[in-house]
Amino acid sequence: MNGSSRLRSYAIAALGVALATLAGELADGRVTLADQAMLYLPAILVAALGGRGPSLVAAALSVAAFDFFFVPPRLTFAVNDARSLITFAVMFGVGTAIGSLVARLRTAEAASRERERRTAALLAFTRDAAAASEVGEVLDAARRHVTELRDDQAFVDAVGHQAAVAVGRLELASAAREAALRAKAEELRSTLLSSVSHDLRTPLAAITGMATSLRDLAGDRSAEEREALDTIVEEAQRLSRILTNLLSITKVESGAEPRREWVPLEEIIGSALTRLERELGGREIGVDVPDGALAHVDPILVEQLLLNLLENAAKHTPPGTSIDVRVSRQPDRAVLEIADRGPGVTAGARVFDKFVRGKTSAPGAGLGLAVCRGIAVAHHGGIDVAARDGGGATFAVWFPDEEPLPEPIESDAP
Amino acid sequence: MTGELILVVEDEAPMRRFLCTALASHGFRVAEAGTLAQAERAATEHRPAAVLLDLGMPDGDGLDLLRRLREWSTAPVIVLSARDREDDKVVALDAGADDYLTKPFGTSELLARIRVALRHAREHGRPSEADDPILAVGPMRIDQARHEVIVDGELVHLTPIEFRLLALLARHAGKVLTHRQLLHDVWGPRDTHQTHYLRVHMAALRRKVEADPARPRWLMTEAGVGYRLKDE
Repeated sequence: MNGSSRLRSYAIAALGVALATLAGELADGRVTLADQAMLYLPAILVAALGGRGPSLVAAALSVAAFDFFFVPPRLTFAVNDARSLITFAVMFGVGTAIGSLVARLRTAEAASRERERRTAALLAFTRDAAAASEVGEVLDAARRHVTELRDDQAFVDAVGHQAAVAVGRLELASAAREAALRAKAEELRSTLLSSVSHDLRTPLAAITGMATSLRDLAGDRSAEEREALDTIVEEAQRLSRILTNLLSITKVESGAEPRREWVPLEEIIGSALTRLERELGGREIGVDVPDGALAHVDPILVEQLLLNLLENAAKHTPPGTSIDVRVSRQPDRAVLEIADRGPGVTAGARVFDKFVRGKTSAPGAGLGLAVCRGIAVAHHGGIDVAARDGGGATFAVWFPDEEPLPEPIESDAP
Repeated sequence: MTGELILVVEDEAPMRRFLCTALASHGFRVAEAGTLAQAERAATEHRPAAVLLDLGMPDGDGLDLLRRLREWSTAPVIVLSARDREDDKVVALDAGADDYLTKPFGTSELLARIRVALRHAREHGRPSEADDPILAVGPMRIDQARHEVIVDGELVHLTPIEFRLLALLARHAGKVLTHRQLLHDVWGPRDTHQTHYLRVHMAALRRKVEADPARPRWLMTEAGVGYRLKDE
């Protein structure tokens, strides 16, 4: 409330008292002294609308005017009757009480108007923020709305809080959108890969078959022709292994659970070494497996992993160098190590990324090691590569036990 | 030509041509079918000595043909399948198929499988040979009457389970036996899911009869399917 309006409130208080006095004078003789006192109440009430100060002034002026003009002896402030003092006290008391009540009412009204304004502004902001599709839009809206009620700290805080909620919501929504997109792309990739692989398999089987037929019938063929046929067969088989890898990575990356059983790792190693007999030809393969070491794994997937690691070693190390396969049991896991005497690894853990190839010129899509990691991770285990003492690389894969080791099987020996 | 008749059930024409050419050039007679319907007709009409069956046929599941065939025929059936279809192979073998070939395969594998299958089919009809108590596979001589195994001239001590395993594989030498079949025949019908028993005993057996158990020459693992005792 500014100065001039405050002055007006006091003027209204004085005017009200004057009017009440005038009305009392006009009615004098026809009404009692008590009625004249009542005439001051509306004046006090009106003055109270101007606040606590004017209401107090009006009450005091009313008491003074009433005493001066109406209480005998008139036109003096003297009082004959002590009862008039009670009238003064009641008038003053009622006046101040009304004043303070009205004033309190007005404060509450102003506060509620303020609150309403803030709520409306906050609502407007929330609406804008909800409509926003980017974080930038939320911030713009916040800036715009805060300008309106800059001095209101509670409002600024509320806008800040709402903006944070809106930004959080946007982030969640965009994360969900991204995840959905990724899932869709992944699904498409999986479907494409497996259908392509199956479609490639059929002609590949026919090529392999026909080429071996030719080779068998080739009693009178030249060495060059035999070699060409051998190459066709070998390359078709290599292509087939790449397809198997593509399908394996599709399978493990689609989240299919490995079918785990307790398997002696020696069996898987034996099966993989047999299948790679030709690729590993001429190398010394050291196998060190503790008697009866079991692993809790999917035997088909782990054979695939081992084939890839061995094939990788065969491809990237000089012919004739040795390869060592070691198995060790720890209380809660089985560890499989493949150590070679090749050039070692420089790419670090990146060799397990898809389509990262070794530094030698050996062919390959760089998929084999990615498949290995996929298979290890699907078993909740892991794979690592480190330099080997004395040169070469050691690949280590571990498979945690997901159920207690079975009781050792008692020999049925008599 | 007077060779035995092989029925080739394969929907892919180039693959079928390869199979027919390879078989014909090795003295077999061949009947071919591109659908299951044709195959069923050909089977009743020609009474083949063996059937090569691709499981993924366009007009249905090859397994259905296998089951219907088994109602009246004991002719060996060799299933053709891809590497990542181990479950299909096991189902087919347990449903009465005799062996399988994983695509891609060459003529030598194809002929080896067919010869083994035909030999077992012949022996099946001649009890005198099955009664022979001595089974000879590779360097092993398995005396079923005396429960003795001699490898490279040395007597090897096997536990009763190991002996039963080896003898069973030797009686079906060259042929794959599924985990289920081995468990059923060695342990009995109640234990057919205890694959890990089988694996552990097989590992022990390898340590006794193989020169290098980590690189077996005879007791071969067929990943996800079972075991095979090589017979060449």
